[in-house]
Amino acid sequence: MTWFVQALVDATSIGSIYALTALGIGLIFGIMRLINFAHAEFITIAAYVVMLTIAFGFPVALFAAAAGVLILALLSERLAFRPVRGADPSTLLITSFALSYLLQNTLVLIFGARPSGLNILPELSQPILIGGVRLPIIHLVTIAVTVLLLAATGAFLRKTRMGIEMRAAAADFEMARLLGIRANRVIAAAFGLSGVLATAAAILYVAQTGVVEPRLGLHLALIGFVATVVGGMGSLPGAVLGGLAVGMVTVFLQVLLPADLRPYREAFVYLAVILVLVLRPQGLFRPASARERV
Amino acid sequence: MIRSGTRILLTTAIAATPLAAFAQDEVTVGFAIALSGFVAPYDDGPYKAAQLAIDDINAKGGLLGKKIVHVAADTASDPAQGATAATDVLSKGAELVMVTCDFDFGAPAALVAQSQNKIAFSSCAADAKFGVQGIGPNAYTMSTATNHQGAILAEFAWNTLGKRSVYILNDLQVEYNKSLCSNFEKRWRELAGGEGVAGYDEYNAGNDTVIAAQVSRMKEAEAKADVVMFCGAINGGSYVRQIRAAGVNLPMITGESMDGTYWLEAVPDLKDFYNLTYGSIHGDDPSARVNDFVARFTKAQGAAPVTGHALTGYGVIEAWALAVERAGSFDADAVRAKLDEFAGEDLLVGKTTFSKDLHINNSRPMTIVKIDGGKVSSVGLFDAEKTPEIKF
Repeated sequence: MTWFVQALVDATSIGSIYALTALGIGLIFGIMRLINFAHAEFITIAAYVVMLTIAFGFPVALFAAAAGVLILALLSERLAFRPVRGADPSTLLITSFALSYLLQNTLVLIFGARPSGLNILPELSQPILIGGVRLPIIHLVTIAVTVLLLAATGAFLRKTRMGIEMRAAAADFEMARLLGIRANRVIAAAFGLSGVLATAAAILYVAQTGVVEPRLGLHLALIGFVATVVGGMGSLPGAVLGGLAVGMVTVFLQVLLPADLRPYREAFVYLAVILVLVLRPQGLFRPASARERV
Repeated sequence: MIRSGTRILLTTAIAATPLAAFAQDEVTVGFAIALSGFVAPYDDGPYKAAQLAIDDINAKGGLLGKKIVHVAADTASDPAQGATAATDVLSKGAELVMVTCDFDFGAPAALVAQSQNKIAFSSCAADAKFGVQGIGPNAYTMSTATNHQGAILAEFAWNTLGKRSVYILNDLQVEYNKSLCSNFEKRWRELAGGEGVAGYDEYNAGNDTVIAAQVSRMKEAEAKADVVMFCGAINGGSYVRQIRAAGVNLPMITGESMDGTYWLEAVPDLKDFYNLTYGSIHGDDPSARVNDFVARFTKAQGAAPVTGHALTGYGVIEAWALAVERAGSFDADAVRAKLDEFAGEDLLVGKTTFSKDLHINNSRPMTIVKIDGGKVSSVGLFDAEKTPEIKF
């Protein structure tokens, strides 16, 4: 039984970070139909800002990273994506690749490609004993922070005017504009929120891994895309649950697969993803807006 | 007027460069390595050290009476551009081409050097295929084969640390790690038998940046093990942090890929951690020559080498120059014949042996350093009595 609790906490902790990433990607996709590959660099740059400012204390670093990535997200919307808004989705996709590549290589130029150690929140890198299970505190904190952030994002989307406008835009962008919702404002807000979520993911992630390097965000963003697809493109709860699901499947396969099959774990993870897409091509949670209306 | 003046000046300069390189009293060494991009940090130390070796030889009057000059071309960390970079330095008259510290990134450049019958040396590609079998008879690497590294670590844990039961954690992303762990296990099982392995697990650094499940499994096996063999590379610090965060405080041993302190901030209070290296960069190596090198490197570059891999770059120039002197010629066939006769040559990077079929060292003693409370110190020079054979 203890192994199960252990695995459940491990899985939920990893799944939480995936969920935050997936939500950041899903927000932009829902409104703009843009798959933002540069989300990986939002995460990476947040980690680098923390590295540069951690000497002033964690609260300052947290604020600097959130502010820095917020500005970066708004700038990339204004300079990279707004000029191609309304273009073919493939144009948007290529634009996001270009932005991602540009940011990543700029990081290599500035910081070099060698990973750097970064010890944030060292007091969380200790295990605690709960009912015979030794759990790293950082895992519990990751889960708690994620739950809080998801609740806050949910409240923002449901209770505030801007949030409701964003949901309207996600449901039907043209109709929302016709009804007087200002596209620039809504899209900028989505990018801003996406940037803040990227910062949270980066900090929780680096607190576990302790290493910063220019490709840090790539793996997370990749899983984030898979999660949004599994969850149902365009559905925000779907993105979150998709992220959690990928984390769960990965960890439980790692725990349960026999040793000979473990090296091929990723094949099993993606087999599960393929199964979901075959059985439910629209993803696990299909948003109402994605349904064809006759 | 100004424009045409500049053009004339440029034309003159361009025309003059190759002439200078081919001048009778000079011999050219080429570097087709990553000066930019993701692999650049791993070529940087060996490159700087190689330049120091060139300066040392020139200070003693050069090689066969000729001054060594060097040219470099950037592969931009792109294997495809490796061939172009090699062609570039060869067209400038390079007699020796040093290539990237990795099989995949270094091989394309080495293949070009091979096709033009010049010697190609990788600083620290640890794959034994970097040689006759994978590239051609002119390709060499200064690295110590993982077979010997694995054996040194096994004997070190068994004899010096007195450990009897190992838990192995292997990173499947990098060939070096897989090979290191498998050779370690071979030698360890000879020493300890089947009971000596308390557990084995793996991750793939490409997919598993967080290894919570692996760490939990290690935690369960902790009571049965008394040492962890960790085959991790580049982001290794991250995994060490996760292992220690789970409360696994067993001593850890690792290969040369974990050398250096650049990642140590990830686990600032790390204890009982041992890694192999070509030489301690902390000024306390058992070899006075290595310490002298580190001091001179630090003076020349303003900072100590980031990892002990720098020594392999020095070794490339030193080995080639030694073979050239013995051959009395720069001709690749003559130099190769002398390189293949290397038997325990006492180079800065350590004792170096090559043979007609094996162009990587599989018998070199290496330094082991210990990290304790964030401080690194040399434990000593270690060798293995028995080393798993290299099979192709």
